[in-house]
Amino acid sequence: MEGLFSVFTVELLNSGIRLATPILLAALGGAICNQAGVLNLALESKMLLGAFVGILAAYYLGNSYGGLLVAMVAGGLLGLLFAFLYHKYKVDLVILAIAFNLIIVELTVFVMRALFGNVGSWSDPSIVRIPDIEIPFIKDIPLLGPILSGYNIIVYFSWFAVIVMFIYLYRMPGGRHLRAVGENKSAAETVGINAILLQTLALVVSGALAALGGAFLSIGHLKLFTRNMSNGRGWIAIAAAMFGVNHPVGVFLASLFFGFADAFSVRVQNVTELPPNLVKLLPNVATLLVLIIIALRTKVALSMARRRFRAQLRAEEAAKPAEEPV
Amino acid sequence: MNNQRWKKLLDAILVPVLAVLSGLVVMGILILTLNKPVLESYAILFSNGFGCKEYGNCIFLTTLERATPLILTGLSAVVAFRSGMFSIGQEGQYLLGAAAAAWLGYAIHLPPILHAPVLLIAGMLVGAAYGWFPGVLRVKLGVNELLSTIMLNSIAALIVEYLVQFPMRADTSAVAHSPVIDESAQLMSFFPGSKWGVGFVLAVIAVIVVYIYLWRTKSGYEQRMAGQSRRFALFGGILSDRAAIRAMLISGALAGLAGAIEVMGVHRRIMTGFSVGLGFDGLTTAILGQVHPFGVFIVAILFSGLKLGAQIGLQLNLNIPRELGGTIIGFIILFVAAGKLYEENIVRAREWATRRRSSRLKRESG
Amino acid sequence: MTPAIEMKGITKDFASTRVRANDHVDFSVEPGEVHALVGENGAGKTTLMSILYGLIKPDSGEIFIDSQKIRIDHPNDAIQHGIGMVHQHFKLVPSFTVAQNILLGMEPTQAGLLNQQQENELVAALAEKYNLPVDPTARVRDLPVGMQQRVEILKVLERKAKILILDEPTAVLTPQEVNELVTVIRGLSRLGYTVIFITHKLVEVMSVADRVSVMRGGKMIGTKKVSETSIPELARMMVGREVLLRVKKKEMQRGDVVLEARDISISDVNGLAAISHVSFQVHRGEIVGIAGVSGNGQTELVEAISGMNSLDGGEILFKGKIIDEASVGERRDMGMAHIPEDRMVVGLNLQTTLDENLIVSRYDDSQFSRYGFLLMKTISEFAEKVVRAFSIAAARPGEGIATLSGGNLQKVVVGRELSGDPAFIIANQPTRGLDVGSIEFVHKTLVEERDKGAGILLVSVELDEVMALSDRILVLYRGRIQGELDAATATEEEVGILMAGGNLQDLKYAQRADQQELRS
Repeated sequence: MEGLFSVFTVELLNSGIRLATPILLAALGGAICNQAGVLNLALESKMLLGAFVGILAAYYLGNSYGGLLVAMVAGGLLGLLFAFLYHKYKVDLVILAIAFNLIIVELTVFVMRALFGNVGSWSDPSIVRIPDIEIPFIKDIPLLGPILSGYNIIVYFSWFAVIVMFIYLYRMPGGRHLRAVGENKSAAETVGINAILLQTLALVVSGALAALGGAFLSIGHLKLFTRNMSNGRGWIAIAAAMFGVNHPVGVFLASLFFGFADAFSVRVQNVTELPPNLVKLLPNVATLLVLIIIALRTKVALSMARRRFRAQLRAEEAAKPAEEPV
Repeated sequence: MNNQRWKKLLDAILVPVLAVLSGLVVMGILILTLNKPVLESYAILFSNGFGCKEYGNCIFLTTLERATPLILTGLSAVVAFRSGMFSIGQEGQYLLGAAAAAWLGYAIHLPPILHAPVLLIAGMLVGAAYGWFPGVLRVKLGVNELLSTIMLNSIAALIVEYLVQFPMRADTSAVAHSPVIDESAQLMSFFPGSKWGVGFVLAVIAVIVVYIYLWRTKSGYEQRMAGQSRRFALFGGILSDRAAIRAMLISGALAGLAGAIEVMGVHRRIMTGFSVGLGFDGLTTAILGQVHPFGVFIVAILFSGLKLGAQIGLQLNLNIPRELGGTIIGFIILFVAAGKLYEENIVRAREWATRRRSSRLKRESG
Repeated sequence: MTPAIEMKGITKDFASTRVRANDHVDFSVEPGEVHALVGENGAGKTTLMSILYGLIKPDSGEIFIDSQKIRIDHPNDAIQHGIGMVHQHFKLVPSFTVAQNILLGMEPTQAGLLNQQQENELVAALAEKYNLPVDPTARVRDLPVGMQQRVEILKVLERKAKILILDEPTAVLTPQEVNELVTVIRGLSRLGYTVIFITHKLVEVMSVADRVSVMRGGKMIGTKKVSETSIPELARMMVGREVLLRVKKKEMQRGDVVLEARDISISDVNGLAAISHVSFQVHRGEIVGIAGVSGNGQTELVEAISGMNSLDGGEILFKGKIIDEASVGERRDMGMAHIPEDRMVVGLNLQTTLDENLIVSRYDDSQFSRYGFLLMKTISEFAEKVVRAFSIAAARPGEGIATLSGGNLQKVVVGRELSGDPAFIIANQPTRGLDVGSIEFVHKTLVEERDKGAGILLVSVELDEVMALSDRILVLYRGRIQGELDAATATEEEVGILMAGGNLQDLKYAQRADQQELRS
């Protein structure tokens, strides 16, 4: 009985980590954009683009790793286009994101059908799914081994990206400048920091990461492409970035939370009567609460100044009678 | 005087019209890459999106039916935007409104004269409540309404998915769906074999009501002034916060109404995957329609026509994937957003024209 | 001695507002001196300094540093030439620490990585060197304003600036913080730094500067040694006008009290006192002028009376009723009118039509709306009436107002505010930025309203305007009423001294005492 229970847990953790990976990659992209002050609501379309371009490139190149690279390049280029339109033509980023979310979801299916005929989803036997890798030594660690080992390269890369992004943002000058741009652009510009360059960088990196997250779906997980394959994961990633307060480690934990909730909801369906959709609600409601708390904090800080002043006035008033006799 | 008004109208529609034309050019290029006949494609697209073959067999009526929820979610976005609230919560309000209407459609039984209105009102009330919440969060606490409505959209989607799969589920078929609503709750259609009916009339009424509300009533005046300049509204004695919350209530009610009508007039029930991103489509119609009810009306019909024309015209006749329609709409939005690009060129063209005119005048006088 | 900085013939036109912000300005600063640059709002001092710092490109003119002609196209050029600027609105990143802000853009690294420890030590050493103690690890958002300013100064010094521009550095400080800043500036000057100090507070000029240059209306009026000038002389240079406006006024017919402020206090956004313990009365049929250099609490006072902001202490009575809790709309319904300082953003909505602008304060009246619907026809007729009554030449009912000139826009505001026969009018800078003709129109209209029996509170930084229109003058200084004068007998000099924070009884003594207090 106990053994059964432990297998169940490890499997749950494994699938939770897998389900978290595309969200994590896109959320890291969303976080770096938020840190640079460029709201990126186009994660959904960048993921979908990555999923489609990735599997297509894997098919034509005959190499799935090549597919991953091409997907990242495509996502990065889309990010670059965003940066160009935003800085050069002052196009509103939100509207830009809405337009591309629509274009990509339709255009990917359009191209798929143009190439492979009237199909709802597409796959080819020649495409190889990105293989899982067992890490020597680590896989033999009792308990932790099976949890940390046995994923494909994208999963490990996403962990690596968390660490690199943390070091870049908090331990390197470039990342600090990027955060300064996001918080007070004119402060950064007056000391000679190139804000446009850093915001462009954030959009490009974000595009590449989100696209890799998408490619995980099409060639890392399933080995096929279907219409609207990202299925709202880009929006969840935006929530994960906010929930993790745009800090790489926070985003990592938030994405795991979403991933586990996802895995758990699938399990729960098999084991209990609890509806899976309601389990998935949890992280979304939590994100909403985070938004409210962040807003409250600013609001309280603003009203504090005024309250202090009023308290001071009242104190003066109270002190007055004592002073009068002098 | 009249001339002035025409000029104003021209200024307002110039960029959207250019954007639509640019979108159609992109479409031509895409068709060209498929090695299909470009000009024929345009003809087929328009005859199938906006045409009428014979009396009673009008594809255009289907276009109008498909435009109905778009018009209403578009109006919903217009009312929110015009109060300065950048709410993209139409999707969630639409879904919850639909769920409420579907449930009351089979759970209670009323005479026809009551049943349909009760459902419509219920859809509007639920939508309004779901719009009120982010409105209050924004006004009282300063929570960014764009981000909160994104969250509320996914929360609504999950709730409705749950409702459809569990408490409201009719049977164990592959695609979960609710029971069919009572006949007394269904909205009538005008022609047999078509679903174009009362729902569209309601949408047209909504267009007019929203127009009157925004430009002819005190409340509409208040919310527009608050949306354009909060300082000015405060100075003049307008209660901006109250106006914004009222706008969110109305915006939510319109999106909820769209959901109710879609249930009552088209699907007769609610099922998984009910929305297919209609909330976002409403947003795009509002943006392309210059955040004006009449603009929304025209754009919604244009959009559904393009989609339908691509679906039944291009796909069936020329074997061009129907997604071309949606792609073009996406590009049109992109071109509108990049309106600065046109504006720069329009200004340049005008300057060039006046320079030419003045130099010609000089030559003639000299 | 060669000047540290010399600016010659600087001219700058702002096309958007059609204002000549700088008109052939010559300006020179000696090395090692503290040079005050004074002038009213809109005199062009910030524009001049922004040109020196590379934020704005001049239309013409030359800049020399140590007699060498240079080009400054970007703040980076200015920094290279040893010029640093502390902006009025600090350029700090609130969530960063003091050290991170000071070293922003020039962080030392080891193998590409930042070293927090080293940064903190660097900043501690810098603070030690200039005797400006700060906590390098504190987050800027937790610091008081005066400390944030110190961080800005250190940031500039770390960038090897020899010439410091301080833009209105005392505007946000408490009196104690001002004293500390004066000490800091004196210390820097002793170390050989050149300091340019932009301000409009003359007492500070007297206490800290070696020389002072006065600007007015985009022109350089003159440069004086502080030891050879006085506050009254500077005040005259600052507010003097070529054309003295004369307004014909009848004898005042003073009626009952219409508005009364009782011991009111208001805080600004930082929780500092903007208005403290102010009391006054306005009667029907009289114009009470509030004189004062801008930034002494006028905005907060006006917003509290009009209901746009709430009071923190005291009470306001309108027509004998306490109106502290009344909304803007309720006050307007009771007969209060308000001509705001900023007609472009507050007084008008440039995105909508003339009609909709004209009804903002009374769309609720049964005259303009019924059963919740706007009565478009009456509104349009009303718009035509206002256009005719106030001869707003270019405005047409039903059309936009964005293209109207400043004078016509102000006529729209005045027309709206005065067409309801108000009992009390707040006129805040009602002629700012207007041409002479429009100024005359506004003045004439206000006097007519007074003669019809309205009480008027005129807030203005234009000394002439206050002198010409008012029946009674209150001088506002640092949020308090520095003095009250009868307009009939007051001299420009008396008002000027009060505006500068001086005292009427023993004028000379008070000045010296103030300076000594600030210096110590």
